[in-house]
Amino acid sequence: MLKLKIDKYRLYELLSPIIGFLAAIIVLLIIVIVVGESPAKAVSAVFKFTMSTTARLATVFSIAIPLFFAGLAVALAFRAGVFNIGAEGQYFIGGLVGAMAGIYLRLPAFIHIPVVVLFSMIGGALWALIPAILKVTKGIHEVITTIMFNNIALALVNYLVNEPLSGRGTSSLEAQTHEIRKTALFGKLNNLFRAIGWNVPDHVYLDYSLIVAILMGILVWFLLFRMRYGFEIRSVGTSLDVSHYAGIRVKHIQIGAFLISGALAGLVGSQEIFAIRGFYTFEIASGLGFEGIAIALIGRNSPLGVVFSAILFAFLKQAGYGLQLYTSVPNAVIYVITGLMIIFIVVINEIMTRYIRALRKKEAG
Amino acid sequence: MTLLDMREITKVYPGVRANDNVSFSLNQGEVHALVGENGAGKTTLMKILYGLQKPDSGMICLKGKAISIKNPRDAINHGIGMVHQHFMLVPPFTVLENIILGKETHRAGVLRMEEPAKEAEKIMQKNGLIVDLNERVEDIPVGLQQRVEILKILYRGAEILVFDEPTAVLTPQEVDELFKTLKKMKKQGKGIIFISHKLDEVLAIADRITVIRRGKVVKTLKCEEATKPLIAELMVGKPVFMEVEKKPSSPGKVILRIKNLSRTSERGHKVLTDINLTVREGEIYGIAGVEGNGQSELVQAIAEHVKLESGEILIEEENILDWDVRTRRENGMGHIPEDRHKYGLLLPFTLADNLVLGQHHRPPFVKGFQIVDTPEIRKFARATIQSYDIRVPSELTPANALSGGNQQKAIVAREMRFEPKLLLAAQPTRGVDVGATEFIYKQLTTARDKGKAVLLVSADLDEILTLSDRIGVIFKGKIIKEFTQAEATREEIGLYMTGEQESA
Repeated sequence: MLKLKIDKYRLYELLSPIIGFLAAIIVLLIIVIVVGESPAKAVSAVFKFTMSTTARLATVFSIAIPLFFAGLAVALAFRAGVFNIGAEGQYFIGGLVGAMAGIYLRLPAFIHIPVVVLFSMIGGALWALIPAILKVTKGIHEVITTIMFNNIALALVNYLVNEPLSGRGTSSLEAQTHEIRKTALFGKLNNLFRAIGWNVPDHVYLDYSLIVAILMGILVWFLLFRMRYGFEIRSVGTSLDVSHYAGIRVKHIQIGAFLISGALAGLVGSQEIFAIRGFYTFEIASGLGFEGIAIALIGRNSPLGVVFSAILFAFLKQAGYGLQLYTSVPNAVIYVITGLMIIFIVVINEIMTRYIRALRKKEAG
Repeated sequence: MTLLDMREITKVYPGVRANDNVSFSLNQGEVHALVGENGAGKTTLMKILYGLQKPDSGMICLKGKAISIKNPRDAINHGIGMVHQHFMLVPPFTVLENIILGKETHRAGVLRMEEPAKEAEKIMQKNGLIVDLNERVEDIPVGLQQRVEILKILYRGAEILVFDEPTAVLTPQEVDELFKTLKKMKKQGKGIIFISHKLDEVLAIADRITVIRRGKVVKTLKCEEATKPLIAELMVGKPVFMEVEKKPSSPGKVILRIKNLSRTSERGHKVLTDINLTVREGEIYGIAGVEGNGQSELVQAIAEHVKLESGEILIEEENILDWDVRTRRENGMGHIPEDRHKYGLLLPFTLADNLVLGQHHRPPFVKGFQIVDTPEIRKFARATIQSYDIRVPSELTPANALSGGNQQKAIVAREMRFEPKLLLAAQPTRGVDVGATEFIYKQLTTARDKGKAVLLVSADLDEILTLSDRIGVIFKGKIIKEFTQAEATREEIGLYMTGEQESA
């Protein structure tokens, strides 16, 4: 009986982002009407561009992979009460370190790929190290330091890729490194999907980074909810005072969570670097670190939640392209819609959380 | 003349009738006490009066006219003021700045201080509430801070004053002062609502007493017809015996020894001076004192790894100064924290998680490679909930769904379950109801009888007197006098607490 009741609350909790999403869709349609476009046309454009074919749907998942890493990184830090705004810089550095391992190490593929993943993570973690230490020892707020470190990272990789690490003799005009060795490149999983009857076309990237993402998701979940260390991370994120009182070594936990967060962020660029481009460049997609903040927020800092919110964001991105291509909804409006969706989902989440808390309180008397 | 009349107020929260047809009136020149256990509905009723909550039904009449109070501003405009349990003061502001805050006088946007200062002086003289207007609130003692709270309300022209547990933080002498003030205000025709757990005080000051239980008014008594047992019985629905049965103590070896401990605050004030004390197995050592005389700093120094100016803290004759909190806990220190809201519980976490907090890192709660053993934790939690009678639907209920009394029970249970050698109990019954208080008293004496050393810190002198085998009085960071239970009297301790009696 009791068990059933608790499951009911869990259900409500899971339901709340969905309700938020639906509310946001309604707002989206209202906006579409306001800008003078037919809602039917908009819906069909969104549908066409996101899920009409296997390729479209697979594209959404493909876009979701780097978003997932970014969201997961920020979420883990949030769990420990650390605001890692520096995922941006961490993945620029992590990607470069990983790429270096992919270019300059000679290893067989079955080792080389885990090694570049590991190096990307180490790179990201190292970039988080100084802000982490500054926060814990000197109390300098990580929002300030990580933002500054983002700028430093961008300038640094720009210099490195243009000068010492520049790959001469490559055909591209943009500054880039040497080509990454074949043994370190992420292969596609299209054959695997074909085997289970899902025909993903070759131009869509569902590659090893998907496996890494799934693996990381499971590991982070296990860490947070099954390991003592994760318990302490969540405790520190909930209350510094209580954690300190209970004997948890708060500083260790915060540094640790910060570094793990940086390591996860180090993987944000991995799909683009090791699967799509095959070299490192300053031009890899930027801004994902910041999107990670919103993704973590909507995913309620839980690994599974981040899966869904990363897919949601990928969907919104694709939907945006669809609206842009097939309707007269202006580009700027698409950003407005994305922003509104985030606000809606967050607000409705919050309302539901409070409602659930009240229900529980009533039950407890 | 009836000043205030709250008629048939009903307020329903999801699942609870916090106020069920409550009627409450207040006459001019009257002190009307509102008593009841925690969660009985006193706070809800006062929140409605102060515009913090909307009633579902019922009406509020002021001098015979129905009024609606939508927010505290309305309440203030209607002459209703509240002295909150937790003071609503801005610590770095001066007394005067705090008094005028929200009702500033200005000329073309420039603050005027002279007129308000004169006005405040007048109110101070009239009510015998003397405070230095130019002191910063953070630099004055709690008793004076409370005066500032009262002045603030009077400055806004309050006719009705609500006091929410006003004596919780005061010494007996300060309580006397407060009561003098209340009597003066009464003479001026103001109406006073006095909320308290302390029945002695209620009987001493109130003209009428309304007892409320489970959201309903049980009875309104005139002071003459009220007695302590009667009120207690009405409050809890059964007679309570606050006298704790206690065997004579048989103290054993010294568990906690503090030698020449001195500590300076971050701002350079001396907060503890040359503290020497010992707590033995099987004894409760009570620290009596007005809050803010170093008690919190003392407990913190024992429980946490903080910088000391000098001195030693020994547990079983071993110096623990280099130990962090975890090491201290692992070596048998339990700690019921002073501020349970801030330190006690991880509110969104399940009760089960909270019941192992602090020991969660050790077997049997982790196994293998630091994996949390959830079934073991739940089993442990279920057993704890049962033996400590924590009222909760399940061990998986989040801590924030528990009532205050049950939260405190959970903390006490957690700190006792691990059989600590030394138990630090700081303000263990603050803000909890009679039932939970009784329970906690029993737990503390049981701990003592089982041979644990208990260091009890409390602002409630009765609590200290009831429980302690030895009593140390702390004043301005010094233990100025020690008593055995047999020699201790309320009055004498009270004198030491205020420093009126210097140690010989």
